[in-house]
Amino acid sequence: MSVLNRAKTDGMGLFFMGFSLPVILLLTLPLIEMAREPTVAMLFNTLKDREVMLAIARSLGFSLSAGLLAFVLGTPLSYLLARRTFPGKKLIEGIIDLPVMIPHPVVGIAILSLAGRTHPFGRFLADMGVQIMGTPTGIITVLLFVGLPFYVNTVKAGFESVPARLENASRTLGAGTWDTFRRITLPLTWRHMVLGIIMCTARAISEFGAIVIVAYHPMTAPVMIYERFTAFGLEYSQPVAVWLIALSLLLFVALRMMSRSAVQYQR
Amino acid sequence: MIQPGLIELENISLTLPGFALENINLTIRENDFFAVIGPTGSGKSLLLEGMLGLMPFTSGRLLFNGTDMDRVPVEKRGLAIVYQDFALFPHLDVAGNILYGTRYHGISRDEAQNRLEHLSDILGLSRILDRRPHNLSGGEKQRTALARALILNPSVLLLDEPLSALDPVFHGEAKELLKRIHREMDMTIVMVSHNFDDVIYLADRGAVIHQGRICQTGDINILFEKPCDLFTARFVGMANLMPVKVGKGRVTVEGSDVSLRTANQPAFPFGYMGIRPEDIVPEPEGDVPVGSEPVGNRLRGTITGIDNHGMFIRVGLDSGGLQFEAVWPRRYIRQYNLSHGSGIRVYVSPEAVHVFREKLDPVPGCQDKAPLS
Repeated sequence: MSVLNRAKTDGMGLFFMGFSLPVILLLTLPLIEMAREPTVAMLFNTLKDREVMLAIARSLGFSLSAGLLAFVLGTPLSYLLARRTFPGKKLIEGIIDLPVMIPHPVVGIAILSLAGRTHPFGRFLADMGVQIMGTPTGIITVLLFVGLPFYVNTVKAGFESVPARLENASRTLGAGTWDTFRRITLPLTWRHMVLGIIMCTARAISEFGAIVIVAYHPMTAPVMIYERFTAFGLEYSQPVAVWLIALSLLLFVALRMMSRSAVQYQR
Repeated sequence: MIQPGLIELENISLTLPGFALENINLTIRENDFFAVIGPTGSGKSLLLEGMLGLMPFTSGRLLFNGTDMDRVPVEKRGLAIVYQDFALFPHLDVAGNILYGTRYHGISRDEAQNRLEHLSDILGLSRILDRRPHNLSGGEKQRTALARALILNPSVLLLDEPLSALDPVFHGEAKELLKRIHREMDMTIVMVSHNFDDVIYLADRGAVIHQGRICQTGDINILFEKPCDLFTARFVGMANLMPVKVGKGRVTVEGSDVSLRTANQPAFPFGYMGIRPEDIVPEPEGDVPVGSEPVGNRLRGTITGIDNHGMFIRVGLDSGGLQFEAVWPRRYIRQYNLSHGSGIRVYVSPEAVHVFREKLDPVPGCQDKAPLS
């Protein structure tokens, strides 16, 4: 029986559908309207604009780099949070969620305060030849900052879904802790890691507030949309936005499909 | 890798928030089928985890063949375990699961393949070697988990409630299989279980554990026939448990005139009496002169209920205001004209009247000894 057919005979289902519809419309109508406004010719012209393509490529490249860095740096932390009990664990979990709550310009300002020349750490980075302000390094740092909660929480849930008993069984069969991680934990959680990378990347693609503080240039797609909107108006910013939204949609559809196959795998 | 031999637990304690194993002393001999028996939450699985090294003991010593295992990591202890839920690796097929540990035990590929074929034949897994665990029945999962452990030729096999996750169809089959493995593979097996029926069928020796403490250890038949305390008695299926005053060769149920001879020689003045339901035997009227009852452990009673259990019936008896429970073959209904409210005379042999303390604590002991009664 389809959802609609079931709802016809089920009062509660009908009631819930009535409330769900405005939410779906709220999410889709503005986007549909924005996507409808530019003509096809304008969309294709935008594609030919080298600056636009570069900005979108930067957004993609930097965001994917942040996603991969989250994989390298966030996996051990996710494992510790899923498997170990230690003092201050709740505090660390709270800290990991912080970037979701803080206004994003504040993130940019905080990173600049640490990496600026007035701070010893900033001077240390400068001495090492690492520049944050106005560089891809700065952008990727910001994207990692805002994307890490998504990676860590997704992968932590993945580790938690693997019964510790399987790891114990592996060890009683003679495998050490590293071999157990490689042969049991990793094959059972890699889908969550891919999901985490996609979520982190998707979150990073949309980032504007922190990037604009740390590195207006090299320009990423959200900064370009903002710039075109303020300099030339809605008409010039919409096509870039449409391409960025199309990209995000592709990523999120992939994300949903991936999470579905992960659930089926566990069954 | 440990050699076949003794496992000794000396004054083992393991403290967790809200629960503790306390002062566990056990000796498991080579080729024993040793059962640790207790209700859910009594600490028996925790004890296995401690033996495996997955939970560090707070104090005490665990010796394998005289070697202290304290600093030996889990993977080097040479103990194999079959978990209650089998803990099969879901991303590997049956063959992959069985072969998983071979590379860590110096078993060559050819040898591993030979052992896989041999075990698959014995355990009936040959046709399902390429299946994933989610496509296996409970019995197939259990046999896969057993093969995964047995392929390593472990000197000690630990079984954590190996039969409780199986449906009745596989239960009997799996019991037979475990018995055969123990008999044919010359292996020391330590099994934890809450089911005394399984234990008495499989094990030669055992220990009863309750709230993190060992109540009684020893020969499994002794545990069954002569429990030391009220908890163990209840756990091994003893019924008709009543507080008694203990006299010379007799017990008198408190608050009644019912007095029975006992073959035990209890050394305490008050305790509990227990009689297995099947040890209360009906007698036809006329065997004993009427008017002389109760004579020699004979009781006259009224039937208060008959419950049908297929081949057997469970009969409730009221004798002198005391409620007794007997289990008899179904044919007795006709043979003795049993019906609700009818009178009957029963006999209990003095050997069937068990006497024990309510609780052993704080009296230590009762381990690897005959019961105190």
